[in-house]
Amino acid sequence: MEYARMKFYCDEHRCIECDGCSVACAEAHELPVGIARRKVITINEGIPGKEFSTSIACMHCTDAPCEQVCPVDCFYIREDGIVLHDKEKCIGCGYCLYACPFGAPQFPREGIFGAKGAMDKCTMCAGGPLETNSEKERHLYGQNRIAEGKVPVCAAMCSTKALLVGDSESVSAIIRARVSSRAKGASNPLVWDKAYKNQ
Amino acid sequence: MKKYLYMFIATLALASTALAVDSQIWGEMRIQNILGYGQEESLKLGPLFTMLQHQYFAWIFLGVLIGVPGAFFLHYKIIGPKVFPHSEKKYYAFNLYNRIIHQIAAISFIVIVPTGFVIVFGDFFGGGMFVRFCKNLHGLFTIPFTIVVIPMALMWLKEALFNLDDVKWFMILGGYLSKEKKPILAGKFNAGQKMWYWVAILGGITMILSGAFMFFLDFKMEMLHNVTGMSQIDMLRAAAIIHNVMGFAVVALFITHIYMSMFAIKGAVQSIITGYVEEEEVKILHSTWYKKLKDQGKF
Repeated sequence: MEYARMKFYCDEHRCIECDGCSVACAEAHELPVGIARRKVITINEGIPGKEFSTSIACMHCTDAPCEQVCPVDCFYIREDGIVLHDKEKCIGCGYCLYACPFGAPQFPREGIFGAKGAMDKCTMCAGGPLETNSEKERHLYGQNRIAEGKVPVCAAMCSTKALLVGDSESVSAIIRARVSSRAKGASNPLVWDKAYKNQ
Repeated sequence: MKKYLYMFIATLALASTALAVDSQIWGEMRIQNILGYGQEESLKLGPLFTMLQHQYFAWIFLGVLIGVPGAFFLHYKIIGPKVFPHSEKKYYAFNLYNRIIHQIAAISFIVIVPTGFVIVFGDFFGGGMFVRFCKNLHGLFTIPFTIVVIPMALMWLKEALFNLDDVKWFMILGGYLSKEKKPILAGKFNAGQKMWYWVAILGGITMILSGAFMFFLDFKMEMLHNVTGMSQIDMLRAAAIIHNVMGFAVVALFITHIYMSMFAIKGAVQSIITGYVEEEEVKILHSTWYKKLKDQGKF
């Protein structure tokens, strides 16, 4: 069976920098203060005609560089392309952050020496390696909405439907429809080429 | 020495306060970091680090870990250790201060090096609790080494400067390739020891700094950004690369240092424990120094 390839897409023509996605994410997964799995950034701020906003989190890259550099091999890539990691294996070394083009991995400080704790990043609402929808999985990784057949909370909450998530064909179909109705040239969003190598 | 300790503590305090104020990685800087990744005119440290860590670092460490002791094992079997009589006259070469400083550095290295290997081969150990514990020890035992590295550098600096004897020493590789006991030109430290001195001191300081970068992660040092022209994330990538590459050299020479003191020259380790060096050992392995001591009537 051919699996779908799950991707994020943020439509830069639609994103209004409302921050709804990152608030929804933090609330849904009960993230600790100081951790933001998703963040809205504005490029060329104040330059007329060039300013745009986009929502950034782990992009679940093809050939994920974080997975390549992890010294304890705590990452795994699901058949549908979602990049997840095992927090109980992670030692908080920070290598995945250095490899990541998007600054997605984050590290809560813990313990008496303030050492970096296990890495935290967007799971595309797909939990982790623990038993699906178990209390422990929810505690460590947040909700597992994918297992329940729901859309990740950030995209579900997006008021302008700028943030899309789903299998690449469905996402592309929506984008194609939008582009043709806009009568403006199509262009890939900021991080799209880096994350998916134009595949 | 106290001065350096204060400086170290002040750096830590500054780094951790800066950390709370504004993030260089997840805050406003994140935009520059994303736009800068893999850009044509940049150093492309992100893809470079990914490639090196993914394909090379662990293998090179494995090569050093097997290759260096392997070569010494062959040396031990084929050429064998140098044995000197240990009943002759002795000279008090390392005072208590020297020995304490050395021993603190020694204990630090004995913890830092193996725990470093556990991190490098973290997947072999399955990650989790054990590797995390080793990572914490790796950082914790950097503190005693940081305290003694400057005093150690100063106390042996004069003896560790290279001179003409060292050229001759390198040509015959210190006489370790022959079984003969011919006097070998060397001062208090031979060229090999000097090499270890510089790698341990300069390499050690490099390891401390690059390690501290990775430990504190998110801090802002305006001066560093201006001097290097690099963003915080690129400096972290550079630190990770430097930490690994310098690690190869430090580990290779650390193993050499242990082999020489514990196996290649029987009983040589005693001199840093008791402080006394044996006359025969000095006469053969440090003949220039021996002449000087003889002239001064120390033997």
